[in-house]
Amino acid sequence: MAKRRAAIVCAFLALIFTGFSARLIYLQVGKHEEYTALAASKHSIRLTVPARRGMILDRSGEVLAASMPVRKVIIDGSHIKDPVATAKVAAPFLGIDEETLAKELSTSSKYKVVMQVLPEDKAVACKKALDEKSLPGLYFYANSVRTYPNGSVLSHVLGFLSRKNPEDDHLVGVDGVERAYDAYLSGEDGYRHIERDRTGREIVVYRGQEQAPKHGMNVQLTIDMGIQSILESELDSAFKELKPQTAIGIIVNPKTGEVIAMANRPNFDLNDLNTAEPAAMKNRSILDMVEPGSTFKIVVASGALNEHTVTEKTQIFCENGRFSYGGRILRDHHGYGQMTLHDILVKSSNIGSAKMALMMGDEKYYEYVRRFGFGEKTGLGLPGEIPGLVHPPHRWDKLTITRMAMGHSVAVTPLQIVMAMSVIANGGKLMHPQIVKSIKDGDGKEVAHFAPEVVREVVPKAVADYVRDSLIGVVAKGGTATLASVNGYTVAGKTGTAQKVDPKGGYAEGKYVVSFVGFMPAEDPQFVCLIMVDDAKISPGLNYGGLVAAPIFSRVAEKAARYLDLVPSPDAKSILPVAALQGDDDDRTYQQ
Amino acid sequence: MSTTSNRRKEVNEIHIAPLIKWLLLAFIVGSCGLLFVYVKNQQHFLGARTREVELLTKEVIAQNEVLLARISALSSRTELQRKLEKGMIALQPIQDHSIARLVPPTMSTGPDEVIRTAANERFRP
Repeated sequence: MAKRRAAIVCAFLALIFTGFSARLIYLQVGKHEEYTALAASKHSIRLTVPARRGMILDRSGEVLAASMPVRKVIIDGSHIKDPVATAKVAAPFLGIDEETLAKELSTSSKYKVVMQVLPEDKAVACKKALDEKSLPGLYFYANSVRTYPNGSVLSHVLGFLSRKNPEDDHLVGVDGVERAYDAYLSGEDGYRHIERDRTGREIVVYRGQEQAPKHGMNVQLTIDMGIQSILESELDSAFKELKPQTAIGIIVNPKTGEVIAMANRPNFDLNDLNTAEPAAMKNRSILDMVEPGSTFKIVVASGALNEHTVTEKTQIFCENGRFSYGGRILRDHHGYGQMTLHDILVKSSNIGSAKMALMMGDEKYYEYVRRFGFGEKTGLGLPGEIPGLVHPPHRWDKLTITRMAMGHSVAVTPLQIVMAMSVIANGGKLMHPQIVKSIKDGDGKEVAHFAPEVVREVVPKAVADYVRDSLIGVVAKGGTATLASVNGYTVAGKTGTAQKVDPKGGYAEGKYVVSFVGFMPAEDPQFVCLIMVDDAKISPGLNYGGLVAAPIFSRVAEKAARYLDLVPSPDAKSILPVAALQGDDDDRTYQQ
Repeated sequence: MSTTSNRRKEVNEIHIAPLIKWLLLAFIVGSCGLLFVYVKNQQHFLGARTREVELLTKEVIAQNEVLLARISALSSRTELQRKLEKGMIALQPIQDHSIARLVPPTMSTGPDEVIRTAANERFRP
């Protein structure tokens, strides 16, 4: 009987232990993965080591954009012992009044953001003060903000950053160089597997696999901040005085295609994006389409000369200022008779230009428009660039060719105009415009270098030189842009005055886009500069490229020449600009 | 009959050699344990110290970056221009005799016969 009882007890115990064993095997083997993961999630985490975003520098290494470390202030409500005492210590550092902070601290939430951006020094001091009084619960996470030391200068080129996701601190470029070169600038975050004790502190001896972050590269631009400041300050003055809708200035090295300066008005402060108007954030140099007006006449002049449609001596009858063609009348500001190509450019004759285009024919003329780079993106590399609008000949009406020759019936970007003028300045080559010079790593070692690139040879040097000589005449006495002259230097350039296109159709009465694009010194051009002013609030009788844009060019070019220490032209003629104010000549193109 | 003479003398002999052997073994095992604990503690201590130094380095790097950003802002062209306009700094023209020119100056044939260029400031529209 006793043996039987003992057997029953033993069997019972065996059953219990078998059950325990089975449960143990189930937990250790069957649920191994699940519980390992759970344990790991409680104690071991994958810590992201953020990469530092690279800087943007100008061509001489001046910092244009840099990242500055700041701290994000987080509350862990479960760690707060005394909200009032914590608030009393932390409030002066955070700039929040004690009462409000105490309310914020009285939370059960384990993760509550109190402040996105707290300066590093304040965060360190606040942490020290809290540690001294043993007040846990307030944590300072590393974060960073992008700073632009020059504020609104070069804002359209540099662009800005924004959060990828609202709840994420990861910033991505959304415009300008910040966006276009985001892959180089952002770098690659690293990671480290760590284990924490129950208080949340890292147990360093149990550190696992780790990978160091690859910090972002520094992007060096072709922009020269000296020239950029000159351009910006002159555009500012013009914007205040003339109150136009927009003003654009671009300076390019014609030999390399490097953009030395680029500015638009209105602009915005990169350090204060909240106050920026969307319209002011547009880089109009590459995003706006305009009818270029007479600056476009360099295309027909170069094409006609290169195709031997005209020679240097060919006389073209300019119909004494009224040319009836296709049932419409095309006018010049003054009546001209026989004129050579040189005179047509100097006097900016619409009729002469139209006749040259007619002599070339639709297809040939269109070919030159395209060869000068119009109707295609320049490939500057900044986001959103548009190609402009150049219709092919089969979509032209009878009048299109005459209108296009004087810069109407075609829409181009300001940068395209500058690059086209660079063709004349550099001896006939269309250059690929560049905004980035090189990309360097943190140690200053060059990772990528962008060499000048010729897109195509548009016209031979002899043709470009002849057109250049005619453009010197435009700025010389008797030309349309004597106010563009710079004493001591030979300037070549072309004015443009085009009626503004009315969004409702046709042209807006009394509204003009005036421009001057020129280069200096003409015999060895160091820069091509475009000044474009849209709808200046000035008497219509004075609203010409030669009277509005040319003087701005002159001031910019003069200061740039001094900054670049250019050697004065030995045969430069000094011009008394007052003579040009009489308005003998102009380049206004009329739509009839 | 004497009972004492027949009684077997029961003495628990102490075997020194095995005792020493086992004591030594226990000592070694104990020491190893203590050493292990000591090393482990040292590891944790050094780990904590490493962490502290890392944080300190991080802080110094961050402060350095903050200072660099501030220097960039304070020495930026915009800031210098602002200071210039407020008269906080001034531009001093360099005297001609102090300039070492790499390119020999070319005289302009303009009416003023000067090397410098002249702006058309008077003719702002």
